[in-house]
Amino acid sequence: MNLSQNSKFSTFKMIFRQIGGLLIILGYTMVVPLLVSLIYSELYSASGFLLSGLICYVVGFLLYKKIKITVEPLNRHALIIAAMGWLSVAVMGALPFIIIAFITPKEIAQQFVPSFADYQSSIFYFKNPLHAVFESMSGFTTTGLTMAIHEPSIGKGLLFYRSFSQWIGGAGFIVLALAILSQSSGKVAFLLYGAESSGERLRPTIIETARSIWKIYLGVTIFSFIYLVIGTYLILPEYNITEIIFDSINHAMTGQSTGGFSTLDDSIAGYHSQAMDILYLLPMILGALSLPFYFRVFHDKEYNQFWKNLQTRSILVACIFGGIILSFMLLKSGVISEPYRIGFFQFISALTTTGWQTSDVHTWDAASIVFIVMGAMIVGGAAGATVGGIKIIRVLLIFKGLFWHLNRFFSSENTIKVVKFNNRRFLPDEMNKELASTATFSFIYLIFVMASTFITFYLMGPEYSISDALFESASAQGTVGLSCGITNPAMSPTLEITYIIQMWAGRLEIIPILILFRTVFFGTKPKVV
Amino acid sequence: MKIIIAGDGEVGFYLAQLLEKEYQDITLIDKQSDKLALVENKLGIATALGDSMSYKVLNEAGVQNADLLIAVTSVESTNIATCLIGKKLGAKFTIARINNMEYLVDKDMLDLRELGVDELVSPESLAAREVKYLLKSPVLTEVFNLYKKDLYMIGVRVEDDAPIVNKSVAESAPLLSNSSFMIAAVLRNEKTIIPTGDLQVLKGDLLYFVATDRGKDKVLEYAGKKIIQIKNILVIGGSKTGKYIALRLGKYYNIKLIEKNLEKCNYLAKTIPNVQYVCGDGADVGLLEEEGISNFDAVIAVTGSAETNIFSCLLAKDLGVKKTIAMVENIGLFDYSHKLGVDTLINKKMAAANFVFRHILKGRVLTQLHGINVEIQELIVKENSKIINKPIKELIFPENAIISGVIRDGKGYITLGSFELKANDTVFVCSIPESTKEVMSFFN
Repeated sequence: MNLSQNSKFSTFKMIFRQIGGLLIILGYTMVVPLLVSLIYSELYSASGFLLSGLICYVVGFLLYKKIKITVEPLNRHALIIAAMGWLSVAVMGALPFIIIAFITPKEIAQQFVPSFADYQSSIFYFKNPLHAVFESMSGFTTTGLTMAIHEPSIGKGLLFYRSFSQWIGGAGFIVLALAILSQSSGKVAFLLYGAESSGERLRPTIIETARSIWKIYLGVTIFSFIYLVIGTYLILPEYNITEIIFDSINHAMTGQSTGGFSTLDDSIAGYHSQAMDILYLLPMILGALSLPFYFRVFHDKEYNQFWKNLQTRSILVACIFGGIILSFMLLKSGVISEPYRIGFFQFISALTTTGWQTSDVHTWDAASIVFIVMGAMIVGGAAGATVGGIKIIRVLLIFKGLFWHLNRFFSSENTIKVVKFNNRRFLPDEMNKELASTATFSFIYLIFVMASTFITFYLMGPEYSISDALFESASAQGTVGLSCGITNPAMSPTLEITYIIQMWAGRLEIIPILILFRTVFFGTKPKVV
Repeated sequence: MKIIIAGDGEVGFYLAQLLEKEYQDITLIDKQSDKLALVENKLGIATALGDSMSYKVLNEAGVQNADLLIAVTSVESTNIATCLIGKKLGAKFTIARINNMEYLVDKDMLDLRELGVDELVSPESLAAREVKYLLKSPVLTEVFNLYKKDLYMIGVRVEDDAPIVNKSVAESAPLLSNSSFMIAAVLRNEKTIIPTGDLQVLKGDLLYFVATDRGKDKVLEYAGKKIIQIKNILVIGGSKTGKYIALRLGKYYNIKLIEKNLEKCNYLAKTIPNVQYVCGDGADVGLLEEEGISNFDAVIAVTGSAETNIFSCLLAKDLGVKKTIAMVENIGLFDYSHKLGVDTLINKKMAAANFVFRHILKGRVLTQLHGINVEIQELIVKENSKIINKPIKELIFPENAIISGVIRDGKGYITLGSFELKANDTVFVCSIPESTKEVMSFFN
């Protein structure tokens, strides 16, 4: 065996071993929805989770423990691991949907359907594995597009699993694996950490950083939960208390992860209450703030960060102004009955890439749709949060770069054109470097959205327009989850696969996916010209 | 008084030179034997060869019974370590030269005094502070801080149309009446005169005033100067002094800083905000014109080369810049630079030396004002002295000396003829060096 084959083989082994680690974690996480199913005496769901958990665990265990690795991952390997790892998690995470869809008898499933409704349980859509993978990918990438048309009809166990998958996926699977397994060396951990999230190092070691992130994440989620329980109870006192708790747990998790799955048939609109709409704004905004920011505030006690932190400040400002603008646009179009309520809620839901919906976007005018796509969904929340999109900091950097390019014409040739951004001072070279990588990423991002818009346009139903196609595509790419109706179990499989790839790429900020494709199609040899 | 100076650099040598004149027992420590040989030849003081952080060398220099240890090498950490070690080995008072202002500013974190460094001095920062005072009142030729924010020594050149020209000091007394300033010395044709009541003020005289903070602007009126406002400053040279100027003044003025070395330029650009940085040669006329040198209100040249600094200032003056300040380390160039037309000269050695002297000569501030041959002494009035509770004009004070300011209860006062001294007053006396002894005996 020659050397290059040897190294290729060991590269695969290394990647599969890491994926094994992720699958073990995935296996463990299925214990939680298993317990929830048992609480609600949904025995078929419980056995579905048990079975899928065991499969994940055994596969993971075999990969992780039986593969002996000889080489340490390099930077590109870390990116490939991230891409492959997330794909594997999404595929294996689809198991409960498929298994439960097949084992649950029709009459049992029909019990999940509310008594006043006359539709079929949505559970059976998941007999199609593609739908299951779509749902799972939408969950783990915190998107929130769904194949379960009538959410309540899939049972509490699966509902919880969807929310829980978003919550786990939000802070990151690899971060979770690093925090729990803590077996990787510092360098490897750092590479993996960087591949999944563009995160900063909060603690001296990455393992500790990963743990801090999870602690903060859990803390804010618990806060959201308490806030939602109290808020819902005050606003809707006649609502069943166990339902309030169940909804609040799920919504706290999907809000903090900016996932946007809901336990209600019509998302937050299902409450039919303006006060509830307002109540749900806060969890979305909390989810869009970066986790390092929370760390600064609560661990380092830097309370002035609320205004000093550029990202946090920009998100708060963008929420207010974007909400106002969208409200006015909707008011002008005249097709929406409550433009302010809808405008603010939907803009914030889109900017934070949460995806809770209170309005049928399909009925909106094209200008409002394009505005929410360009101004909110493509922008996204803070880097270091669970959001998708280009991230607000990159957008700000590009604008800063634009002004910098203009301003430099006004200083003399020899002047060092320093630029100040996010409390850091950049020399021209550094700024050019930052701008180049940011612009490249943003450009690739827009290309993805564009390409998918056209694919959508030719594969969607005849009742939709090009602006609907743009909306749906940006929603998938930005892991937002707002839908104008194009996403449904009857959609074209090609389009469904396109969206799966988009969500996957959107969560990992595209580059790891491109690296994976490059490796698969062109190998790992450096390009020589 | 036994004094050890560690580091035979510019500051060290200058200090040794000044202290030697005061007949102090001085030992100079340095690592380079040829430098020490030069000092021995020139000044005839004791030297010790070696690293100032070494016990052996410090003992050889006599640290056990040293009254003062001054560490002024170019390396900050050496200075601090030398002082820490020296203090434990017996030096009574230690002074370290530093670059990092943190040690001075963030005393709450860790006060070096507690560890054994009694005083910290940063020549570059002192020079920058001087520049700050000068820019606040740009028509002044010199500003020297006598006591906190209360008493200043100020040098102003008399203009043709000043109200006091061709009048005697006594005649112009009504103008002085608000007792916020007084004349302490006059420099005329390179001769130093301590004023009496009949001294005629001529145009072109350089008057040295002692003034309170309030009196600084009044002095200008008195000397016929119009107050000018400085807004745009061109700093030439990103030396340590330039860095401190940028750091201290960036908030208050529009500063453009020119530095030749790109790396230095980048470093400054990255660390100090509110300043525009230009990479280029400060002696390149084309560049200076391109940067619009004539649009600046003040040009401060602080490169390492005195010649460049003087040249840049002259060019600026020629192009109509109102205030030029040049850093000149070579004291021999002082007179010529003044004559050529540079408004003000600063010298970080002298700034540091003045600072150090305040701590050495108890009861005496030996202040070297640029170009003028006076000494300012700080003396304390004794309890049972004959001179208390009498108006100053009734005292028979030594010739060529003048009482120029008093600190009482932590506040500064100007001492005109009717002022009465009290016990425990701290008195500033301005005198020509020949009268120094007389003055001291007068107060004893």
